[in-house]
Amino acid sequence: MKEQLSSLKKEFEAQLKHASSLLQLEELEQTIFGRKMGAFTTLAKQMKDVANDQKKTIGELMNTVRTKIATELEDKRALLQREEMKKIVETESIDVTQPQLPKEEHGHIHPMAQVEMELSELFRSMGFMVLDGPELESDYFNFEALHIPLSHPARDSQDTFFIKDHPEWVMRTHTSPVQVRAMREHGAPLRAVVPGRVFRNEATDGSHEHTFAQLEGLVIDTDISIADLIGVMKGLLSGILKRDVEVRLRPGFFPFVEPGFELDMRCQVCDGAGCGACKHSGWVEMIPCGLVHPEVLIAGGIDPDVYSGFAFGLGSMRLVMQKYGIEDIRHFQSGDLRFLQQF
Amino acid sequence: MLVSKNWLSQFTTIPKKITPQQLGIDLTMHVVEVEDIIDEARFLDNVVVGKIVDVTKHDNADTLNVCKVDIGNETLQVVCGGSNVREGMFVAMGKLGASVRWHGEGEPIILTKAKIRGVESSGMICASEEIGLGEMFPKKYEKEILDLSHIVSTKDVGKPLAEALSLDDVVFDIDNKSMTHRPDLWGQYGMAREISAMYGTVLKPYEPKKIGKPAGASYTVSVQVKDTKACPRYMAVAIDDIEVTESPAWIKKRLMSVGVQPRNNVVDVTNLVMFELGQPLHAFDANQLTTNNKQLTIVVRKAKDGEVYTSLDDKEYKLTKEDLVIATKNNIVALAGVKGSITSGVSNDTTSIILESANFHPVTIRRTASRHGLRTDASARYEKSLDPNLCELALRRVVELLKEVSPKSFVSSTIVEQLNFTLDQGPIALDIDFVQRKMGVDLPAKDMVRILTSLGFGVKEKKNILSVTIPTWRATKDISIREDLVEEIARVYGYDNIVPTLPTFPIVPPKQNSLRDLETRLRELLAYEGRYTEVSNYSFVSPELLKKVGENVKEYLELENPIAKDRPYLRRHLRENLLETVERNLHRFDTVGIFEIGKVFKKELDGEGDGQTHLLPKQDTLLAMAYAAKGDEHPFSYVSTAFTTLMNRLGLQVHFEKKKEDHVLVHPGRTAAVLVNDVLVGHIGEVHPMTGEVLGLDARTAVLEVNLSELVPLLSEKTRYQTLSQYPSIERDIAFVIDTNAQHEEIATALINADLLTVDVALFDVFMGKNIPEGKKSMAYRITYRSDEKTLEGKDVDVVHEKIVAMLQKKFGAEIRA
Repeated sequence: MKEQLSSLKKEFEAQLKHASSLLQLEELEQTIFGRKMGAFTTLAKQMKDVANDQKKTIGELMNTVRTKIATELEDKRALLQREEMKKIVETESIDVTQPQLPKEEHGHIHPMAQVEMELSELFRSMGFMVLDGPELESDYFNFEALHIPLSHPARDSQDTFFIKDHPEWVMRTHTSPVQVRAMREHGAPLRAVVPGRVFRNEATDGSHEHTFAQLEGLVIDTDISIADLIGVMKGLLSGILKRDVEVRLRPGFFPFVEPGFELDMRCQVCDGAGCGACKHSGWVEMIPCGLVHPEVLIAGGIDPDVYSGFAFGLGSMRLVMQKYGIEDIRHFQSGDLRFLQQF
Repeated sequence: MLVSKNWLSQFTTIPKKITPQQLGIDLTMHVVEVEDIIDEARFLDNVVVGKIVDVTKHDNADTLNVCKVDIGNETLQVVCGGSNVREGMFVAMGKLGASVRWHGEGEPIILTKAKIRGVESSGMICASEEIGLGEMFPKKYEKEILDLSHIVSTKDVGKPLAEALSLDDVVFDIDNKSMTHRPDLWGQYGMAREISAMYGTVLKPYEPKKIGKPAGASYTVSVQVKDTKACPRYMAVAIDDIEVTESPAWIKKRLMSVGVQPRNNVVDVTNLVMFELGQPLHAFDANQLTTNNKQLTIVVRKAKDGEVYTSLDDKEYKLTKEDLVIATKNNIVALAGVKGSITSGVSNDTTSIILESANFHPVTIRRTASRHGLRTDASARYEKSLDPNLCELALRRVVELLKEVSPKSFVSSTIVEQLNFTLDQGPIALDIDFVQRKMGVDLPAKDMVRILTSLGFGVKEKKNILSVTIPTWRATKDISIREDLVEEIARVYGYDNIVPTLPTFPIVPPKQNSLRDLETRLRELLAYEGRYTEVSNYSFVSPELLKKVGENVKEYLELENPIAKDRPYLRRHLRENLLETVERNLHRFDTVGIFEIGKVFKKELDGEGDGQTHLLPKQDTLLAMAYAAKGDEHPFSYVSTAFTTLMNRLGLQVHFEKKKEDHVLVHPGRTAAVLVNDVLVGHIGEVHPMTGEVLGLDARTAVLEVNLSELVPLLSEKTRYQTLSQYPSIERDIAFVIDTNAQHEEIATALINADLLTVDVALFDVFMGKNIPEGKKSMAYRITYRSDEKTLEGKDVDVVHEKIVAMLQKKFGAEIRA
């Protein structure tokens, strides 16, 4: 019996070495442990013929051999499985750079609208209302209420589109008319921005458009100072450009603010060293702004002795041009999908 | 406007430590924007005065000469292409090492020894623009070299040009747009005042001698101002025994430094005073104005419509009754505040003059100047509302200078004058606390007083209130309220010295803007879930395009002054320009899906208030979508489906109601009204094949347009959740042949209403053509059956399915397919 077991084991080990697939391993297992014909099963059946005094020793030996063979079978199975999986995985290698087919198209939001949406969101997060106003505006809101007198060049120049048969109407030349509209509708205190389309009767070229976009901002509260204006503008530009910016305020003149300023930003291209983008001055003119003129507050029904405020105008189209390096302003309204699909 | 450092220094002291660059920055930060700082001698290294001692033709080139140029210690041979080159001429000689700019443009080039067509050339005889003197000595001809013969003499030969011409000045180019509100800054003196305020230096008073009694009253001059509003002040005086000559060097130099060409002593003196003080003056040749008896009446009046004026430079202008003129009894002698006329100008033969120093109404002058396209240094100044008090000061200064440049001249009439003006000089009560609060700086009162005083304001302090008197030169329109004074104090103090603060605001969410929110949502859905790209078209539309799509231009608002003559109308729809955009893109793309969100203008409907008593035309915001794909014969459903999905995402229900419309734009069989939650909000349709051809559309195009302003009220936050059924559902397909006129929506509604167990109906196939009779179509639906009470068995569904078959046959005449 002992010899039989040991030769069985020897035979098994020889065959195990040759088993190179899971199927062969399965077959080998059958030849050993198969219920009817298995070599080991057959031996086990002979246990009953073993002499009683040897039963214990042979039994133990049998157990040891069975466990050993079973373990070796399992180990080999695991090994073969790993190898087989490895082969499968290798043949299933793919081109990771290939996109899904057919290509799934999607549309594009106009770059101007994208930036307007982004700015509106930024301002909303700072507690500003986002307001609209008519694009065809009254002479009153566009000029008079903003303290732009009848004798002002803008009122008779070629800069403004007038409406035939309606001398009291114009295409708004700025988003500022909404300042007074907002004051009348919402009163003070007030925080609002007005993104929108404005019109100037200007010959169109690479850097001039008769139809373009602005974003007006207005803050009215008690005790608003120049220091507040600088602080808010600085925060704002940092928010828009997503980094700290250095700003400077210098005198500027706009009839609806007093005092009026031009807010310059340290050139982002050259960090102030001077380059073509900033005309070698190190500064870029960004935002005309100022403290709201008391006459404008009065036109808006707000008491200038109680409230004060500041207003600013962001050339949002110019901002988009800077952001993407767009050299020709006419692209925006060209409707050319080759341009629009880039955004 | 150009400002000269040397000229400024005549009136105030610029501290030594202030470099020109620093002065430029300080002016920008406190006063006006300096665009450029120009050092006169920046291109004059190695450029000396030379004298041409010999000119011979170049053997190998017709247009070139070989010159010998004496530069003192040596004589150089130079090849020169100047058209005006001649022997004996004094020239600007660029020696080897000089840097010049060709045609005054681009990067400088350093001169080296060269052979030009075989002849050696050691340097270059320069044109004015090549050495940065183009403004000072403008060229008359293309190939002209700078002729210094009338400026330098033999003793200057060999001297550095900068020294010979005393070019030690620095000139600041000020952006005129930054000083439109400051009439006082349009002369050197006003700028000097600002500098004295910035640096705390003394401003020398501008006090020319008073004009004495006429030495011999040979002229009798009187003035009649017919329009005192247009001419608040007019002063004139006659000067006799004038000798018209060249101006002395210092005057020429002053003028050239600010870009003005010297003419003769009389004209130069009037120009000098204008650039010094900002007050334009005019000198008439007295003999051209008066008759033998030397009597003259100057009339300041409006022109007659059609009256002709001939300018100094011999151009004719047809005037209107809005233009103000200076006239004698017979002639117009000047277009007031703009330019003199040809008949009355000062010439070399002039021996006596009438000097005019006047003030004109800014708007009158501006309109005349822009009407006739005649903008002059004078009109630019009058437009800014000049201080009428300057008239007298300027006149005194000119008379004083005339005596210097033409010593025998004498005042030969009394000063005639008409004046009719008042200036509001305040005082303004300025609360110290008000200034501090506006600035956000606790600036001491004494600093406010110092700043205001340095700018010429009169200040009295009384119990924390400053009583501020406005100087006349700031009182015409510039300064009138206390906020104006805050600006004066703050800008001189320096905005850079103000420490930024942040205002405190309560934390409250801002009010919603539902229309904007809707626009944002639509953009995102259409672009990122749909396949539509947003475009932005002009608000203006052309009559040709409107005509092509059958629009009546009479319904349109029109621009009075369209920039593009071809697009005068204000759009009532987005679709016309949108279709144009589709057309253009179809040349490059096979598929075009675009949308636009924008305002339209309807004059017959009332919109928002105009701020007074009337209403503006209605300006609703529309959404328009258009789709075309080459080979796609049914673009309609692409658009209608996208729109339905869009609305469903917003919790809204869409219904397309077919209509028979007789409009040139749309295909009569492929158009529908768009109803959202049963409200009519717009239209959808395929472009009529004929119109499509007229528009040049290369593919069938569907277009939808809805009014977002009307959609906003339909929006609500609710989108109800449906409880999940605990029983499984069963799906069955049904296919049938039916009239082509049958409408999907009607069939689907009938199916879903056929029984309680039909919970969903989906169209999955429509087919026409092969094996289907003419006028018929095959439709296939998948019906979902489910009960809320039990698990359905096949036989339960069979019963309902039978019912549905019967219903389809009866109601729609459908023929069920196997």
